[in-house]
Amino acid sequence: MKFIPLIIRNVLRNKIRTLFTGSSIAMSLFLVVLLYSFLMIQDEILEATKPYNRIMVTNVQGLTGNLPIAYLDRIRKMDEVRSAIPFSWFGGRYREETIPFAQFGTDSKYVTDVLQEYKVPDDQLDAWQADKTGCVVGALIAKNKGWKIGDKIPLKGDIYPVDLELTVRGIYDGDSTVDREQLWFHFEYMDEALKAKQQPMAGNAGIVMLRAKSGPIMPELMEKIDKQFASSDAPVRAMTEKEFQQSFMEMMGSVKFFINVISGIVVFSLLIVAGNTMAMALRERTREVAVLKAIGFGRGTILGMVLCEAVIIGLLGGVAGALGAKLLFATVDFSRWLTGFGFLYVPWRTALLGLVLAGFIGLASGIIPAWRAAQLSVVDGLRKIV
Amino acid sequence: MPYDASDSVVQLLDVSKEFMRDKIRIPVLTNTTLHIPKGDFAAIMGPSGSGKSTLLNLAAGLDRPTTGRVIVNGQDLGVLSEAGLSRFRSENLGFIFQMYNLMPVLTAFENVELPLLLAPLNRAQRRQHVEAALRIVSLADRQDHYPRQLSGGQEQRVAIARAIANDPVLLLADEPTGNLDATSAQEVLDLLELLNTQFGTTIIMVTHDPKAARRAKRLLHLEKGTFVQADIEALETSR
Ligand SMILES: Nc1ncnc2c1ncn2[C@@H]1O[C@H](COP(=O)(O)OP(=O)(O)O)[C@@H](O)[C@H]1O
Ligand SMILES: [Mg+2]
Repeated sequence: MKFIPLIIRNVLRNKIRTLFTGSSIAMSLFLVVLLYSFLMIQDEILEATKPYNRIMVTNVQGLTGNLPIAYLDRIRKMDEVRSAIPFSWFGGRYREETIPFAQFGTDSKYVTDVLQEYKVPDDQLDAWQADKTGCVVGALIAKNKGWKIGDKIPLKGDIYPVDLELTVRGIYDGDSTVDREQLWFHFEYMDEALKAKQQPMAGNAGIVMLRAKSGPIMPELMEKIDKQFASSDAPVRAMTEKEFQQSFMEMMGSVKFFINVISGIVVFSLLIVAGNTMAMALRERTREVAVLKAIGFGRGTILGMVLCEAVIIGLLGGVAGALGAKLLFATVDFSRWLTGFGFLYVPWRTALLGLVLAGFIGLASGIIPAWRAAQLSVVDGLRKIV
Repeated sequence: MPYDASDSVVQLLDVSKEFMRDKIRIPVLTNTTLHIPKGDFAAIMGPSGSGKSTLLNLAAGLDRPTTGRVIVNGQDLGVLSEAGLSRFRSENLGFIFQMYNLMPVLTAFENVELPLLLAPLNRAQRRQHVEAALRIVSLADRQDHYPRQLSGGQEQRVAIARAIANDPVLLLADEPTGNLDATSAQEVLDLLELLNTQFGTTIIMVTHDPKAARRAKRLLHLEKGTFVQADIEALETSR
């Protein structure tokens, strides 16, 4: 519209101030967009697992409870079960690293059937199956740690009092929802080491992951599994993969809640910063606003112009922060420094959400100054300085 | 001076205006009546604080009288809403201020274009109006300059161009030469005279400067809220 040039000039009038306001919006939105991307991707990953009809079985007490490996066979025998594997967290230390990456003891014969979207080349799968101390690693972690087929990976037991000396026999890959930062080894290798040391922890699968033959039978199947082991000394709980992941996230602390609270605080303080900037800018322009009104600019026009200016400043910050985050995560691979964050990227939805949020912050920050400008009495405005 | 009321561009009928300050009433205009006929060029003089600006504000519909009626170009301003007054100003009035009051972020061209943005004109028509107005004030070659790149006199001429861009019936000037050196003041007064004589624009000009007042067709003297008759000859001999 006709007033855009004047609005743009006003945005650019005090470049430093616009820059500061814009960048504080940009930086905060960068953060908010990342946090929400994290949440969104979690949901996305959970949704992506749905077609595979996977069920996780643990002890009723959760992950710390015992799940006898003998249950695996009994589960496999059920009619509704297509395939099942142990999925046992080892949590060993790799070299000098303090935080363990994901290592699972599993069954090389069925793992690629249960985890169908995880692709391992056939010859590598054969090679792994032929090597008792062999392992398969995700493509991303392999790239970041520089692992190649044939490399040795020593893992020092932390939870378990045994060490594993593994050899990379294969590398699995998959699309963006696949966690490509895991390591799989033979459950028996760990279990036999434990038995050799006569550890009571031997024979515990921790988790049994299974794939049902179809989606609709899953509720019934889970009930059946629960019932079957109910009266044993290790009763179990079966849940869908999605429920399992969600309970895991809840265990980590109410992540969602915190992200919302943090974002809320950030947005609120931005409102104050941006609102103050707009108020200052308008106060300096009292006379000009009075002149515009004298010339015949109506309240609505003045209101609209100030709001528009505020929205533009907000969007400038939004473009830099939200789209900047999108671009940064699209071009730089952060899993190299942040193991376990290889999945993190900024979905378009989140980037656009950030942009909309920035526009909203701008709009909201402009409301009071715009209202004041619109209500300004011309006579008072013109008398102000002279 | 005999007049036909219907021929008046501005009529103040028994107008009083008082302000409230700290709950004390300050009467500024008391039962003032004024008729400015079409094509007039009236200068209003008077001591500081005598209510000259207040009077202009009332005639401009920027403020409302405490009592009495203000009729401009046949329109009773008292019946108009805020929005109606804005529209009325945009269509009928031009303003010239002592401090020029140009938008510093806009070029001369864009400043002159401002009032035209409110009119139903397309870009080409606006351009025509702006160029014509800038030609009248002899600043066609400065249209892309920003106010800070212009002298005070030039700024005021741009302000005049802005005031006349929408062909107002009435031009209101509050001490238009108050901030200018003698030469620039002369140029501005020449322009106002030109607008009045060549284009028939009705002008009310508030001024402190007797030299400026002399250029008007009529001199009004405001003192303590009422007009006292004064004529230009008397002014000249008294100075
Ligand atoms: N908005 C206002 N509020 C309070 N007092 C005002 C206001 N406007 C004008 N006045 C007072 O009214 C008187 C006349 O003011 P003004 O019309 O500006 O005088 P002039 O232009 O003749 O110097 C002054 O005493 C001034 O202080
Ligand atoms: Mg005054």
